[in-house]
Amino acid sequence: MELLKMEHISKSFFGVKVLDDVSLTIRPGEVHALLGENGAGKSTLMNILSGIYTRDEGTVTFNGQELPNGSISAAENAGIAFVHQELNIFNDLEVYENLFLGKEITAAGGRLKKKAMIREAEELFREMDVPLKPRIPAGELVTGAKQVLEIAKALHSKAQLIILDEPTTALNNNEIEHFFGLIRSLKEKGTAFIFISHKMPEIFAIADEYTVLRNSRFISTGFIKDTTAEAITRDMVGETYANEDVYVQRELGDEILKVEHLTGSGFSDVSFSCRKGEIVGFTGLQGAGCSEVLQTIFGALPIHSGKVEVGGSSMSAETIHRAMKTGIGMIPANRKENSVIPDMSLLENMYISRHTIDTKMPHISKKAEEKRFGDYKKTLNIKANNSDDLIVSLSGGNQQKIILARWLDTDAQVLLMDNPTQGIDVGAKEEIYRLILKLAESGKTIIVNTLEIPELKKIADRCIVFYHGGIAAELPHAQIEENTVMMYSTGAL
Amino acid sequence: MSAKVRKFWNLYNYIVVFVIIFAAFLIINGKATSWTTVTNILLHSSILGTIALGQGLIVLTGDIDLSVGSSFVLAGGIAIVLFNSTNSIFLLLLCCLALGAAFGFVNGFMVGKLKMPSFIVTLATMLIYRSISQYMMNEMGQTRYSIDATLSKYRALFNFGNGNFCTISLLAIVWLALAVFMIYMTTSTKFGKRIYALGSNPKGAMLAGINVVWTKISVFVICGLTVGLATFLKIAKDTSFDPATSGKNYELYSIAAVVIGGISMSGGKGKMLGIIFGTMSFTLIDKIITALGMNALLNDTVKGVILLAAVGLQMIQNRSRD
Repeated sequence: MELLKMEHISKSFFGVKVLDDVSLTIRPGEVHALLGENGAGKSTLMNILSGIYTRDEGTVTFNGQELPNGSISAAENAGIAFVHQELNIFNDLEVYENLFLGKEITAAGGRLKKKAMIREAEELFREMDVPLKPRIPAGELVTGAKQVLEIAKALHSKAQLIILDEPTTALNNNEIEHFFGLIRSLKEKGTAFIFISHKMPEIFAIADEYTVLRNSRFISTGFIKDTTAEAITRDMVGETYANEDVYVQRELGDEILKVEHLTGSGFSDVSFSCRKGEIVGFTGLQGAGCSEVLQTIFGALPIHSGKVEVGGSSMSAETIHRAMKTGIGMIPANRKENSVIPDMSLLENMYISRHTIDTKMPHISKKAEEKRFGDYKKTLNIKANNSDDLIVSLSGGNQQKIILARWLDTDAQVLLMDNPTQGIDVGAKEEIYRLILKLAESGKTIIVNTLEIPELKKIADRCIVFYHGGIAAELPHAQIEENTVMMYSTGAL
Repeated sequence: MSAKVRKFWNLYNYIVVFVIIFAAFLIINGKATSWTTVTNILLHSSILGTIALGQGLIVLTGDIDLSVGSSFVLAGGIAIVLFNSTNSIFLLLLCCLALGAAFGFVNGFMVGKLKMPSFIVTLATMLIYRSISQYMMNEMGQTRYSIDATLSKYRALFNFGNGNFCTISLLAIVWLALAVFMIYMTTSTKFGKRIYALGSNPKGAMLAGINVVWTKISVFVICGLTVGLATFLKIAKDTSFDPATSGKNYELYSIAAVVIGGISMSGGKGKMLGIIFGTMSFTLIDKIITALGMNALLNDTVKGVILLAAVGLQMIQNRSRD
């Protein structure tokens, strides 16, 4: 018998169909991967399931009972829990307080029965076999543990179906393994999961079945064991998608960036160099220090000791301004927080950085800027109507292209990219890879930090693997291979 | 509401608010309205409006300056003492601007460099500056700082402060000229874009290469300069300062003018043009109360209600955008 049946669901916003006759079936105790590019309709479908949106057409049956349209409490009471990508944990409350928020056990007069709640939390954690402690402030938990606490909240409210929206984005590989272990043991006990993710290896590691949506429509469903990553990707992208190697060997120029015995926050004694036109991949588990090395070269974090040389001359004062003047640009991780200026237009987001180093004239000529924007729009293939539109009106991939344009606009010779394809759908990722290769061909030196090794395989001439704040290995393109990299980054080699 | 109307409303709601209040004023004032009544709106907006322009820049960066009213009165007192002993209008102006800039720098240094919250820093300097002004007065054994009317340059100063050009007050012309400059600065210069970027996403602005510390300090110094200019305008107009009442509540009135002008307190959103209309709307409320013959003590009640209504409208606008 099915746990959940969503049948012929349709939904429109302002006359635009965002879901068109979509169906989804979930059995008890299964992990069901819900797949599709950004904007395919996954989130809308999940929001309808959890009662956040109303549906225009179709039925939702859970445990044999039809759920009312657009009622969050009805969905919760039926046993559906939604763990959002942005975790809903209150850092200033203790773990057990988070668990019981809004459902506190009280005595007469509203007095909290803390002991009873703590005991119940302890029991729940023991049953789940997780090392959470009820009495510590939730702010002290690492992201992985917060994720587990979210699951605990769901189980505590007797959820039979838990929706996980990209749950592994903020986790390191170790935490992901633990997290998957927890999901496996819970599904043994009958809990079902809907798992939304863009990462193929994870889907093949954890999911039993899958459903693919594309352009608001249902495309395919089936068992994971009967399919391949290529087949699923084809369903997601639509047109025949070939996982071809975009990498091409190039002539490299002279040494342009040299880092010697660099020590900073989170890493120590790191030395490497890059040649003009080279693409160097950084990878390592979270906390290994890759991102911190990039931020330190860019001047956003202080140098404790060691030095950075660009084009033969040492960077004296380690400030962002100084780094930019010597030709370094950085696309930071977490675009929404660290690069997008949400109240500014595409044009302003593009030119803002150049004008911090080119200060000869205080005046900005809109006409000249428009022309530059037009050029970037063409070379980077940015899909946008008007340069006056707000940057937040674009899709993730196009936003990232605007940020890329921002740094090309500063004429940076060395581009540091920290997780540049984060939150970007499959098609746009492929485009970003091609752009990176094209830029390298035109003589830019690029360092890409990413946790996705297949990504490095596509673009990097060389891969530097970090482990625990230091360099564990340097691998040439031919040796970049998932298993090897993982061994180095977990310290197994 | 059609998309066009909504877009116009989102961009220019402060003009709509002004027109409504202005129309209400014309109806209430009836036959008593003359051209002078209208030009007086500009005149009576000019001093607060000048301060509001500086305040607006600070609000755009996401901060706040509660010390403007106290800086105004302290700079005014010292400048009057200086004028009385030098008889120089040039030194008077220079003194006003230099003191304003210095007070602004103190705030900006603590907010930008020491990363202290602007609300607390300027709350403290607000208390300090006014207290010093009152203490100085007390030490001198007087009740008001007044320009010595027997000085030879007194007439020239008074004539500037109370003169007109083509029926428009000279003070209003100074204010509007400053506003035009501020509009240009915020829309078409590199510095102006840094202000918006900083208010919209401070961390993103920093990682885009913007020197956050200097931008903040600069904005506080510019606000100090506008306060200094307003001080000069006030001396020219009234030739005296009362340390207890002059500039009282100006920090709150200037913030109100900025907010009615459509600038968001969270920073990064809004236009300097709005401040012109925001200030005039605020001035009109005074005039409406006078025209209605209401008790002047109810003045702030009406101002408070209008402020809530203006912010409420902006909230509805934000919600419809989401």
